[in-house]
Amino acid sequence: MKIRMIIIILILMLIFGISLILGPRIINPFFMDEISKEILFSIRAPRSIVAILMGMALGASGAVLQGILRNPLADPYILGISSGASLLAALGIIGGMTIFGTFTVPVLAFIGAVATGSIVGMMGWRKGGFWPERLLLAGVGLSFLFSALLMLMMSISTDEGMRKAMLWIFGDLSMSEWSRIPYGLIFVAAGVVISASRAKALNALILGDEFAHSLGFSPHRERFILFISVGLMTAASVSLGGMIGFIGLLIPHMIRFFIGSDSRVLIPASALGGGALLCIADLISRSILPPMELPAGVITAIIGSPYFLYLLRRKNVLSI
Amino acid sequence: MKKLIILFLLFTIHYSLFTPAQAAEAPKRIISLAPSMTEILFALGLEDRIVGVTSFCDFPEEAKKKQKIGGMSNPSLEAVVSLKPDIVTMTTDGNPKEFEERLRSLKIKTYVFRARQIPELAQGIREMGLALGIKEKADALAKDMETSIDKLKQRRSSIKKKKVLFIVWPDPLIVAGPGSITDNAITIAGGENIAAESKSSYPKYSIEEVIHQAPDIIFIGRGMSQENIREVSKGILKRLKSVPAVKNKKVFYVSDYLYRLGPRTVKGVEELAGYMEQQR
Repeated sequence: MKIRMIIIILILMLIFGISLILGPRIINPFFMDEISKEILFSIRAPRSIVAILMGMALGASGAVLQGILRNPLADPYILGISSGASLLAALGIIGGMTIFGTFTVPVLAFIGAVATGSIVGMMGWRKGGFWPERLLLAGVGLSFLFSALLMLMMSISTDEGMRKAMLWIFGDLSMSEWSRIPYGLIFVAAGVVISASRAKALNALILGDEFAHSLGFSPHRERFILFISVGLMTAASVSLGGMIGFIGLLIPHMIRFFIGSDSRVLIPASALGGGALLCIADLISRSILPPMELPAGVITAIIGSPYFLYLLRRKNVLSI
Repeated sequence: MKKLIILFLLFTIHYSLFTPAQAAEAPKRIISLAPSMTEILFALGLEDRIVGVTSFCDFPEEAKKKQKIGGMSNPSLEAVVSLKPDIVTMTTDGNPKEFEERLRSLKIKTYVFRARQIPELAQGIREMGLALGIKEKADALAKDMETSIDKLKQRRSSIKKKKVLFIVWPDPLIVAGPGSITDNAITIAGGENIAAESKSSYPKYSIEEVIHQAPDIIFIGRGMSQENIREVSKGILKRLKSVPAVKNKKVFYVSDYLYRLGPRTVKGVEELAGYMEQQR
């Protein structure tokens, strides 16, 4: 298992390196002129780091959520967090708000995500317990509400406003810059560390509340801590670059195929795998049709889904 | 599939044969399904005959007072029918084709404006004049436009060709690509659109490529959010700080004239040409 983890880390580093060199034009890192240096350090590097952070947040959140909700279909977006974020972000974009300067849209998205997460959390809390089914249903319910509001807003906005909002919602990494990274890093690192440190409890929770209890874990308390860490990671990820599909849902399953379902490994490995996949998807999305850029979320699903289906055919396990 | 192609051909032939021929008498009640149509109708002096416009028709000022029939991509069929129009004018750029078919099936006459780029504009207006029974006025407007455009084209020979980028929206970076009215305008004004090689008319553009292509002039469309476009643009301009246009303070915020193909389009070209001439 250790060796496989090291392999994943090496793959991630390799992909990061490649993502700096390749792009619409190839940069030779040993002979760089001024322009290449600028592109490498102030455009590609922050962008790839943001992609890795977002992918890590989504991968780890997916692994944790599938565990606490005991549902292989769970992904970070199922709790409605992303739809709340999209709603506020679209409001900012279509309404042309600039209350937080160039940070307006990410900050609005973060507020939307945290607010939605809190509502879902409150709905999940009942009779001194924190119930997975309630969380799931509250999330789905809120998602529908927010999606409807989002569509309402889109249908009364101009085509121009709608297109801008759509581009953001599909996921956009092109505006990534160094100044956004510290904020993202704090939340993603905190989320990954908190959830990895509760991995043992998560293992027990997957087997059932009674089992967890008999091992000395308080199921409701553990779920609550894990839920908070997922909320923070997802909020940070959506605010960094919009919604990216596939990673949160399928990366944890792929990691289970390769490494196993022990949460202690699954959480960090899903984080690394998610980071690697999004970094490579973003590389493809900005290089394949230069000078145009495609939404990275489209690429993650196009390269990821067939591979996932192939694995599903070959291996016969699919559990949480 | 074959059926579809035949249907499509039939429709095209149908349009090209019959649309101009419907010019028998001047319609009294006109509905416009696009802001650009509304502007042209006003410029042709048909203000009193317009009975309905879209909720996005905001120019000229009087257009806002007209009855609204919904959006451009989702106009309300009921609202259109209840206004009992003699003719409904629409464009191929934004109005759904199905809506036109629905109107025809309800025996409502339509006029589809086919021009989508500046070189086709004058001819489009002439044909529209024919369909609306105001040939002379339309001819005069078209002639006016052609003269202004020719004048701009003559002036440009004296300008050294500059590399130009027109930013439609700064975050994420959307620019005017080939086939857009803005791209036409840059060429007419004597510039070279650095985004001319991309594959769609309003592509999401690579920031790296802008740095590589090093435009001499950057235009930023003020669009609808006129007040804060400077604020929103700060991010992208910071990232493009090494580009000649930004270094030499050749970044200009321009009006939304070029977003609609209509009577104000020429003014939009003149605006770009004006800024480009200063740079000689």
